[in-house]
Amino acid sequence: MEIKIALAGNPNSGKTTLFNDLTGSRQYVGNWPGVTVEKKEGRLKGSEYKDVIIQDLPGIYSLSPYTLEEVVSRTYLVSEKPDAIINIVDGTNIERNLYLTTQLLELGIPMVVALNMMDLVRKNGDKIDVKSLSKEIGCEVVELSALKGEGCDGLIKKAVALAKGNAPAERESVLSGEVKEAVESIEDIIKGSADDRFIKWNAIKAFERDEKAVAALNLSSDKKAKIEEIIEKTEKDLDDDSESIITNERYNYITNITAKSVKKGRAKGELSVSDKIDRIVTNRILGLPIFAAIMFFIYAIAMGGWSVSIGTAATDFTNDVIFGEWVPGFFDTLLSALNVEEGTVLYGLIQDGIVAGVGAVIGFVPQMLVLFFLLSILEDIGYMARVAFVMDRIFRQFGLSGKSFIPCLVATGCGVPGVMASRTIENERDRKMTIMTTTFMPCGAKLPIIGLIAGAVFGGSPLIAASAYFIGIGSIILSGIILKKFKAFAGMPAPFVMELPAYHIPSWVGVLRATWERGWSFIKRAGSVIVVSSVIIWFLSAFGTVNGHFGLVDNLFEDETVITDEYVTQLADKMNIPEEDVNAMDASLLASVGNAASFVFKPLGFGSWKPTVATVTGLVAKEEVVGTFGVLYNYDDGEEEFGEEGEQIWDRVAADYTPIAAFSFMIFNLLCAPCFAAIGAIKREMNNAKWTWAAIGYMTGWAYVLALIVYNIGGLIAGQVSFGFGTVLAFVALGCLLYLLFRKGYVGEESSKNLNAVSANA
Amino acid sequence: MMPLSMADVGSLVSIKKISGNDEVRQHLSELGFVVNEEVSVVNKNGGNMIVNVKNSRIALDKSLANRIFI
Repeated sequence: MEIKIALAGNPNSGKTTLFNDLTGSRQYVGNWPGVTVEKKEGRLKGSEYKDVIIQDLPGIYSLSPYTLEEVVSRTYLVSEKPDAIINIVDGTNIERNLYLTTQLLELGIPMVVALNMMDLVRKNGDKIDVKSLSKEIGCEVVELSALKGEGCDGLIKKAVALAKGNAPAERESVLSGEVKEAVESIEDIIKGSADDRFIKWNAIKAFERDEKAVAALNLSSDKKAKIEEIIEKTEKDLDDDSESIITNERYNYITNITAKSVKKGRAKGELSVSDKIDRIVTNRILGLPIFAAIMFFIYAIAMGGWSVSIGTAATDFTNDVIFGEWVPGFFDTLLSALNVEEGTVLYGLIQDGIVAGVGAVIGFVPQMLVLFFLLSILEDIGYMARVAFVMDRIFRQFGLSGKSFIPCLVATGCGVPGVMASRTIENERDRKMTIMTTTFMPCGAKLPIIGLIAGAVFGGSPLIAASAYFIGIGSIILSGIILKKFKAFAGMPAPFVMELPAYHIPSWVGVLRATWERGWSFIKRAGSVIVVSSVIIWFLSAFGTVNGHFGLVDNLFEDETVITDEYVTQLADKMNIPEEDVNAMDASLLASVGNAASFVFKPLGFGSWKPTVATVTGLVAKEEVVGTFGVLYNYDDGEEEFGEEGEQIWDRVAADYTPIAAFSFMIFNLLCAPCFAAIGAIKREMNNAKWTWAAIGYMTGWAYVLALIVYNIGGLIAGQVSFGFGTVLAFVALGCLLYLLFRKGYVGEESSKNLNAVSANA
Repeated sequence: MMPLSMADVGSLVSIKKISGNDEVRQHLSELGFVVNEEVSVVNKNGGNMIVNVKNSRIALDKSLANRIFI
């Protein structure tokens, strides 16, 4: 028969570390409360335990269903009733941890307490008398150091024996005096309505007026009235509400126990090493500069252009050598061995479609791995939790919580990990809002676009790059203010309350695991979404109708019988370009589609097919925008390598656009829907198609409106655009924007009430 | 009685009362903020604060720190 053992305990008490130890699994562990949000199952290691299943539950402070984690854990424990519970208690923080223990004990499920972090307890000079503790709480207590793997065998033996025995010992109630009597009389009333084993739990829940537990009992209104009478009398006598009465009883009970069995090495109020570090890194004056300095170093290493920048070097190597020479070379050899020649459909599909498309994305992996590695270290030692605290004060002004800052920061490197980093925000509204706005930050792949526009039109002014960052940050701030006024996001950001873990030296296995896990999920996406979209874009750009013949446009253009002077003139006319500039791509399906769709961008000042197509290819990867421009502006790749910022076509681009139109093009491309990889990440984090589309729609809409305003009103002021329909449209849009910014937002009744706005529907 | 947000850094204070709706109070109590409990103030940052309660460090924003009276 299968035996189910659940791991339950406070957040960051080491459940997942123990779970990995016991099952040999490799779940992600972080020094950050709330890493595990869903429950996970695993089979116990070792042949003698083949039928034992271990269930890792999210960390919880209590069994009251207020947060998402509590709902998941409580539902599992109450309705699925595991055969035994291993309650992990952080020995360095025993009083608060035992609060949950007292609740778990009432569930009537056999339980063993694993006193974790005993190595730290000893180091702190604390002494815990395990025997006396075990006697007091009426349940086995085992010492453990999950991180070092000490004590796991003994623990599992006890747990399995308990699960097989299946008879929890009678325990002393945590309650005393009048409260104990009240709960006992409720027990008498509900007897028979529930399983005898759970009578204690149900009676206390009824006393606390826990709606879900009471509803499950199906009591008659007569019995309910009697219970209410008992509760009201006790509340009146003790001058407190029933929930607080129980909480106080639990803490009194714990204080009594710990007074007997725990001796603290440190006096209350004395500072630990972590406290001393916190004094400095969360300091009002020093906090931000310290953080800025740390982030600067991380970016210098991962993204910078210096000799210490390992990430950049590795990414350049991947792009230029691996995906520039090796992989295409390999496929060249392979395809020629299979007699697939250059110029055929299959060759084009593989080399220009899949290899080039996937390569563009995979190229970022080394840089991302370096970034993830460094961020994982910061997370593992416990610093990230402090950053959220330091930034909260600033972000709160714009309706975002401090926890939204980390995703935005990560997104300046790449939007994909930025969106994924939003997972640590437990408030659902704040999380969704962060996902919707975080890719406004100019990521690494958008930098070539900025370089192209700045170089071609603005004489390489550094102000353009600076403005890109301001536009990104400004968009996040303004979106925060605007979105908060909608009903779906209404309410103050959830009150910020977060346990700050003790600092510890990073566990390298954990850091590498976290790095790899994040990198791998990115690579997996590159293998699915990006392959498909690359193939589609390739197909559209490679095929077309040339002078009535449909096929690969490159081949058709080489065919003298197809290409006539008359046709070239016609095509040049249709595409509105000089005859000598006509090339194969002008006849492609992509060009026709771009031409047909270009009217959309007319009000933004760049309504011709080339920028339209470039914008669309930007969806595959943002650096594709510049690459597409290179092809469309007829850069002949025979002479020298096309520069990353497209230096060779600057004068042609400059001839085609007024500065304000080019700037508007840049704004739109920086802010609109991110690349497919990031859209995939948004979809995964939103876990809901409607919200994914809402996010993409919002970003694109925001980009459009902003570009519209900048082009028309900015152009009017600069004298580059004359007054017209577009101007009217822009003023209307500006009016709407100002209205959304300054209107009185939706004020919900519950908006400020929810600590963690997850609806508890367990 | 004064709100916890006014306590000095480094001071050890005893909680007298916690105001606010049930849900917030309950959550604070689960984290160890209960009447008569002694907490020490590790750091303050513009009203937001880090306090030590029952041997764990909890970061609180100003709105919550204002609900805890000492």
